[in-house]
Amino acid sequence: MTQWKDRLQVFLFPTETDRWLGLLRIGLGLQVLLYTLSLRADWNYLFAGPGEGLIGRALPEALLSTESPLLPRLGWIVMLATRTGLSESTALSIVWWILLFAGGCLVIGIFSRASAILAWLVHLCAAESGGFISYGVDNFMTIGLFYLMLSPLPDRYSPDQRWRKLPSKNPHLLGFFRRVLQVHLCLIYFFGGVAKCLGSGWWDGSNLWRALIRPPFNLIAPEILIRLKYLFPVGGIAICLLEISYPVFIWNRRTRGILLICICTMHLAIGLTMGMYLFAFIMIVLNIAAFGPELGLAPNEKLVRATSRKN
Amino acid sequence: MPSSLVIGAQWVERITSSAFGDKLSASNRFRWALLTYLHVTGTDRGYGYFAPNVPAGYKLLFELHYPDGRVEYELPGVNSAAAGLRVTTLLDEIGRTRYDPLREYMVKTLAASVWREHPGVKTVRAVFGSLNLPSPTEFEHGKRPSYDFLYAYDFSLIEEPVKPENH
Repeated sequence: MTQWKDRLQVFLFPTETDRWLGLLRIGLGLQVLLYTLSLRADWNYLFAGPGEGLIGRALPEALLSTESPLLPRLGWIVMLATRTGLSESTALSIVWWILLFAGGCLVIGIFSRASAILAWLVHLCAAESGGFISYGVDNFMTIGLFYLMLSPLPDRYSPDQRWRKLPSKNPHLLGFFRRVLQVHLCLIYFFGGVAKCLGSGWWDGSNLWRALIRPPFNLIAPEILIRLKYLFPVGGIAICLLEISYPVFIWNRRTRGILLICICTMHLAIGLTMGMYLFAFIMIVLNIAAFGPELGLAPNEKLVRATSRKN
Repeated sequence: MPSSLVIGAQWVERITSSAFGDKLSASNRFRWALLTYLHVTGTDRGYGYFAPNVPAGYKLLFELHYPDGRVEYELPGVNSAAAGLRVTTLLDEIGRTRYDPLREYMVKTLAASVWREHPGVKTVRAVFGSLNLPSPTEFEHGKRPSYDFLYAYDFSLIEEPVKPENH
């Protein structure tokens, strides 16, 4: 029993540097910047109140209230702003600027903790208030920003750390948060893979074809895609196997590199061929932060790790 | 799927549904706390993107009828490709909705957004269809993506105020 407890403790609280956290902070900061900039022209139109905009946030926010009145939403921020005499449109614009500012601070590494909390909260409000227009990228941004906000920021690469001359973070705490992100990614890919395996279309490749010709993801003309039709079954099966085997091969040091390259290539291909750039970017950021740092370690850092494992 | 697997999956579903408070009343504090946690952590949805199969897409087309008999056609539009992906998500939501009044409300809200851009319109007909994608073999034989009619809604805008007030 004690042996199991020790093993669990070693697994959950490994010794870790803050390199992964630096990658996660910069990556998520870039993601927040790209997210806000990509929606600049439509921000007010997408998140407007009743009687304005595309679908409005009234219905999603009403549905949210039935789930839990505690869930943050844009309506709260707008209500606060309008009480101070600002118009709804101005309030929404301010929200956009706040999110852009938080993203920029995360990339640079100033006010890291406050920026992570602000980015998480404002993005969450937008994702929840735009319930009908939210998709996978919002889910993964919430997941990433939630872990970032709780992680032991600032990391050593941020000016925050240098200016405030803060002591180094507890390596076990750093290891714990990274482990949680790693396990979460394993669950995501495993269940995504299992769900895909249940669909016949992934085994014969027809799902790949459908995904690539379905508007608005049809960036490549079907006349070109049809020439590659013999590759679709191979591609479909490869995606299923890649996702379902992620929790197995990602932990093994020998197979980690190749699996990570395959997964990142898959997301890059999704981004480039289907136009889902934001989705591709967030997945690559989460993967590299969770499992990537060791692949590019300096020789002396590898030595330190090997020594700490021996001990 | 083997029946034993189906029974097992149903059993797991019952357990997880209870664990996530699905059977608790909407005003239950524990349910609130649980759902809040799931939302703020981004774990409120499953991870089966494009699984088990890639779903059919949907299209919403508005026929704008002017008082002089002229008819124009309009799609719900946004300015950027990133927002365009979100419109696709919205149409998927409308297509998946099984509750007719909710679907009608959503289509009506979208129709209102188009109407604000074309204030001279007398009536709007919203036609909602599902996308029919050909298989690679069918494509080689000349079949192209087409739309199957699902619903149509007629909205009269004569009695509507020019710009609804924001309450």
